[in-house]
Amino acid sequence: MRIPHPYPAACPPACRGAGIPPVLPVLSALRGLLPRGGLVRGSVVAVAEFGLLCLALMAAASADGAWCAIAGIPEAGVLAAAGLGLDTERTLLVPAPGPAWPQVVASLLDGCELVLLRPPAPAPIQVRRRLEATLRRGRGVLLVAGDWPGAQVRLRIVTQRWTGLGDGHGRLRACCAEVAANGRGEAAAARTCWLWLPAQDGGIALADPADLPAGLPAGPPAGLPGAAPALRVVSAG
Amino acid sequence: MVVSCPELRDPGQDAEAARRHERVIATVTGFCPEAETVELGVCAFGARGPARYYGGEQTLAARVTAAVADLGVRSRAGVADGLFAALLAARGRDPVTVIPSAGTARFLAAQPVSVLADQDLVAQDLVALLHRLGLPTLGDFAALPVHEVASRFGHAGERAHRLARGLDSRPLAARPPPADLSVAQEFDPPEPRADPVVFAAKTLAERMHDGLAARGLTCVRVQVLATWADGRESSRRWRHDGLLSAAAVADRVRWQLDGWRPAPVDRGAGNDHCAEGGVALLRLAPDQLVRAAGQQLALWGETVPGDRVARAAMRVQAMLGHEAVLRPVLGGGRNVSDQVTPTPFGDRKEPRLAAGRPWPGRVRGAAPGLVFPAARAAEVTDGAGQVVTVSGRCELSAAPARLAVRGEPPRRVTGWAGPWPLHERWWDRAAVRRRARFQLATDDGRAWLAVVQDGRWLVEAGYW
Repeated sequence: MRIPHPYPAACPPACRGAGIPPVLPVLSALRGLLPRGGLVRGSVVAVAEFGLLCLALMAAASADGAWCAIAGIPEAGVLAAAGLGLDTERTLLVPAPGPAWPQVVASLLDGCELVLLRPPAPAPIQVRRRLEATLRRGRGVLLVAGDWPGAQVRLRIVTQRWTGLGDGHGRLRACCAEVAANGRGEAAAARTCWLWLPAQDGGIALADPADLPAGLPAGPPAGLPGAAPALRVVSAG
Repeated sequence: MVVSCPELRDPGQDAEAARRHERVIATVTGFCPEAETVELGVCAFGARGPARYYGGEQTLAARVTAAVADLGVRSRAGVADGLFAALLAARGRDPVTVIPSAGTARFLAAQPVSVLADQDLVAQDLVALLHRLGLPTLGDFAALPVHEVASRFGHAGERAHRLARGLDSRPLAARPPPADLSVAQEFDPPEPRADPVVFAAKTLAERMHDGLAARGLTCVRVQVLATWADGRESSRRWRHDGLLSAAAVADRVRWQLDGWRPAPVDRGAGNDHCAEGGVALLRLAPDQLVRAAGQQLALWGETVPGDRVARAAMRVQAMLGHEAVLRPVLGGGRNVSDQVTPTPFGDRKEPRLAAGRPWPGRVRGAAPGLVFPAARAAEVTDGAGQVVTVSGRCELSAAPARLAVRGEPPRRVTGWAGPWPLHERWWDRAAVRRRARFQLATDDGRAWLAVVQDGRWLVEAGYW
């Protein structure tokens, strides 16, 4: 519950934080992956590649009343996101932010608390610094689908497998995924967890290693396409 | 009928004459609400209706002149067929001159051609020429064949000829023109900096809002038009809905100016900026006027974007265009791409296809995390490397073994389901679509929604 500040206009945005919780909530299954159990305001969270995990990270904050924006991802599956809890009423889509994307993202961060961005081009260091400054000022969270050097938290899917499909029969039911997290500062300790992403009921749930589907590859598959630059060996410690 | 006040027609008159003219017009509109001001001191209106009400043209004209005389202004009234004849009639010696309908032609024919020049309708030298040609009266001039006049005297001569024949060049513009609610400010010298323009925009917006409020109106959108000194124009419509304050309108002007400022990379030195000039004219025009009926938001079920969000969204719209910022609306439909309707921010939100219907044939189960805006071309092959085909009876040529999405290396298929046939809109020859859908899981742990349409494989969505 947010407590309205008595003089919101007269107060610089940074001190508005007095009544605002310091983290944006995430779905309960994802809490273990993130420091302080949520998306810390003013921070950058990078996910190696766009997918359901990015949308899942937005869902709880949106359901809690935050405005979200998705920039640079024309293929974002809004229906799946809505199924996870994203409130489409409070979602803005900017499918093509164009060459001026840093300004677009800065503007979006002024209005929205959570911005999911896939940068159309690798961001130079000055652009990153400027956006991070905007972020700290506005107390929002930038969720990057892709590489972002200096991100406080980095998440990636190590391996995943769908269940429910047979050889010409069945349908996709649930996906079991191993998610690894590392980062800087309080998120420096690497952690991994098994998730149903999504579970059979459409939500996100922690997977019990006992009922994982058989035949999951032990390590990261060799030829994971498109994710090569973002894949890093997780340092244990 | 024309009412002419000779003492107000003197061009050397001051503002007092203009005020008295206004009072005369107000008096005349008491008799007939739709009067046209021909020039200072002269007005005209259609007399047929009022004359019938007051009991004849003579009576009406007498009453009008008497009412004008009450203001202390002497006037003459002329009634004839057509504005030109009535103007001439009002110049007669009597206070009221009524030319009967049948006598208008005869009345005009007797007038000297010099009246054409008196009315500033045609050039003086044409009148002199007519005199030299031995055509002293309008009747003589009107007797000439029209094509001869046109070939000898051109457009101006033809116009004069029409007047002489008693044909007016245009009908009386009696209806008062709709009030111009737009507001504008010129900048002289042109203003190169944005801040003064934005400041002026705030004042302009206040004036526009006052003008609208005085008429009980509000506008759905407001058009902001900025003209630069070098002639470039930027025009953009902004959503208003009667909700924007003057400061908010000024904000939109600022965003628009920011968006239209030429990119500095194209220019070499900084002083080039001044050479191209600044903003010369700023105009705010209300668009789509509606009655101001206030706004009542729904009690629940409607999320109104807060001020901060709206500002951010419109800022981005100013940079990228109205269609660049979208709000998704969930709807129904059989295909995953149909079920979300992206609507430009600020527009009415309505799904393309209604939700809540059964939509038989839609893909059930988990929704895909990626829905490609345009389906991606792909190739699905069997174990022998042959492309998998689906017959008209939904029979597969072989089990899919490999999926190659265009632009990516091929993947091994580890599980698949389908084909699920879909025959859409068979009643509409233009939109008919037959396709067979598959779900494919590949060895990298991902899953795909693939379709076969017209013998080609496409990938519509991805599950990861």
